[in-house]
Amino acid sequence: MDFQLLAQLTVSGLVVGATYALLGVSFGVIYATTKIFHLANAVPYAAAAYAAVWSSQKWGLPLLPACAFGLVAGTGFGLLIEVLAYRPMRRRNATLLTIFLVSLGISVAFPNLLQIVFGPDNKALPAYKNPTHQIGSVTISQHDVLAFIIALVLVVAVIVFIDKTRFGRSITAMRTNATMAAAVGIDSRRVYLAVLGIGSALASVAGLLFTTNGVATPTMGLAPTLTGFIAAFLGGIGSLRGAALGGILLGLVSGWSALFLQVDYGPVVVFGVMFLVLLVRPQGLLGKAAV
Amino acid sequence: MNDRREFAREGLRSLGDASLSRRNLLAAGGLAGLAGLLAACGGSSSKSSTGSSAPTLSAADAAAAQGLTTIFGPGGKPGGAGVVVPAGMLLAMTGQGSFFGKVMSSGAKLAAAQIKAANGIDYRITIADHKSGSVPAALSGTRQMLSQNNIKILQTSYGAPSEAIVPLIAQNKLLSFNGGGSSPGQVGKPFLWQTRMIFGDDPCPGGLAWIAKTYPNAKRLAIIGTKENGVQGAKVIAPAAWAKLTGGSVVANEQHDVGATDFSSLVARIKASNPDAILTFSFGDDPGYLVKQLREANVKVPIMGIEFTAQAAKVAGSTYDSYNFATDFYDPTNPNPWNKIFVDGYKKAYGEAPEYYGANYYEEVFFVWELVRRVIADGGDPTSTTALEAALEKNPKFKSLYGGSAGTTGEVVFNPSDHTISKPMGVFKVVNGQPVKIQAIQKVAASQDPRQALV
Repeated sequence: MDFQLLAQLTVSGLVVGATYALLGVSFGVIYATTKIFHLANAVPYAAAAYAAVWSSQKWGLPLLPACAFGLVAGTGFGLLIEVLAYRPMRRRNATLLTIFLVSLGISVAFPNLLQIVFGPDNKALPAYKNPTHQIGSVTISQHDVLAFIIALVLVVAVIVFIDKTRFGRSITAMRTNATMAAAVGIDSRRVYLAVLGIGSALASVAGLLFTTNGVATPTMGLAPTLTGFIAAFLGGIGSLRGAALGGILLGLVSGWSALFLQVDYGPVVVFGVMFLVLLVRPQGLLGKAAV
Repeated sequence: MNDRREFAREGLRSLGDASLSRRNLLAAGGLAGLAGLLAACGGSSSKSSTGSSAPTLSAADAAAAQGLTTIFGPGGKPGGAGVVVPAGMLLAMTGQGSFFGKVMSSGAKLAAAQIKAANGIDYRITIADHKSGSVPAALSGTRQMLSQNNIKILQTSYGAPSEAIVPLIAQNKLLSFNGGGSSPGQVGKPFLWQTRMIFGDDPCPGGLAWIAKTYPNAKRLAIIGTKENGVQGAKVIAPAAWAKLTGGSVVANEQHDVGATDFSSLVARIKASNPDAILTFSFGDDPGYLVKQLREANVKVPIMGIEFTAQAAKVAGSTYDSYNFATDFYDPTNPNPWNKIFVDGYKKAYGEAPEYYGANYYEEVFFVWELVRRVIADGGDPTSTTALEAALEKNPKFKSLYGGSAGTTGEVVFNPSDHTISKPMGVFKVVNGQPVKIQAIQKVAASQDPRQALV
């Protein structure tokens, strides 16, 4: 075995996996509580990136303030989806399938809207220095180090918030038994808004991390959203730790598969592993089996 | 702006409830406001449009029309005035490749407007979207343009969608041109003509010959390709050419998905193979991400690509200044008089300089105009695509934006036997994000010494 290649693939897999974990927790926190298959999570991902680029070009904001603006805008778009689409539908007792279809429609329409408004050209944030670090045989860029740290810190912060705070326990209660939670006075509207906000903020950060080392494009949010839901299901729906673990595993498995196979087999290996895991544990790695 | 309003209306309909309760109205208002907010954000920075209207030519463009008649001959009856040419474009208007659809359609629309202003043919364009490579969308779009718009001419793009519509082209005698994703599967097909060199296959021997000449110690080549375009080049042509050129070997031959942005695993494998040079057939934004990630991984060997776009350069940033590419590249600074008319007109119409794909699709419309002129001159029916193709086969030479000099237009030549084209090719380096030609190259047959590709 080529151990130098193994080391590089492990580091690369962890970096990619941390972003997947972020997306997995983003999807997981929304799905576990609202039960909405929130494909429109692609909206905050792309909206944050476009807002950051727009603010830097329009107002001349430097990179960090532009990203902060993007984060607020992306989270705002996620909240708007809850307020303008999901909440009215829930009020009218729309089925989850109907809400999913609306979510799907938004996820398809939004890239087209971005293209109509901003054009199909790539949008880039201001350039910055991104030095590379060499650790033994492994190379890693400064952006990747930062992305890894930011993703992990946010994932841990969200898990701690939901586990340890009073409002977080309201979210857990709503996730576990919405009827009982409502009976003891938990405001479901606030909880749903909060999880959409948290999930959208995480998706926004993921979109910004991508754009700071690449470009914003109208369709940029669709593939990461699907990755997020794979991570969440692999790790176990209902478990944020599971969603994070699922994301890290996805990154590592995808990377390690390149030890033995050409990289275009990566998705085959990833889906193969997911299939095997879900065959043995349908509830996911850390999910609880239905009683 | 109308497009945006229509989109907002569609969004409102998607809320799924037609009744007008106060809450629905509030929700509708919010969504419309959202669309309006986005529109306000983009209004000042975007000049792009996916509509099919032709650009408006100003009075100043009368000079362009005059210049065109000097180059191509007079308008009026010999120029096909009054001849309506219903034409279709099968482009990537949405999805990852929507940039290509934008520039391709922009080039063709400008050509149509300029030809009409020069009292030439009335080239009417309908656009169908193949959604960045979807074969079903390509088939339904082409069928729709045939049945509803009665198109006679087609400007197609991409490899897989164009290969999929080959039977439709033949059955309907639809005179077609592809200046985008030319591929071996489209070669020699009835009524389908390639207006760019075959992607990857034609320029890669020249690109490798330049590497062998410039880096004489390079023996170990890594090849990076995709499953869509340039497959034969990556699997067959490049390995054979490299062996002939250097006696060396191909130490890695990797493929990646089109549209990939994370190349970390591929970069790790390439790095582990310890190559002396890299040849990539990646296209679109992909080479931008690939080159950036290779350089960030401290891979310092020369990289030769097959394509350059400003979009990919934007992705790669300063790392693209270490990238070379070999292709039939379009040079907007070429002083060729027709090219000057094109560049000036494009800048006026769209506020930006044209690039490779805009140039190819602009040029194709002028090929059609030239064919109509020839058929009229011979007393034939200029609305018959059979007559137009016969005129092309009879004289396969056309004026071109490529090549030429300050006093003369360039020239391209079609090959009537396989429907490919010969255009000037070169090896380029990137300086401050802009391509600079450093070596002229030409197509060579597989049996020839690849060194002969260097001109």
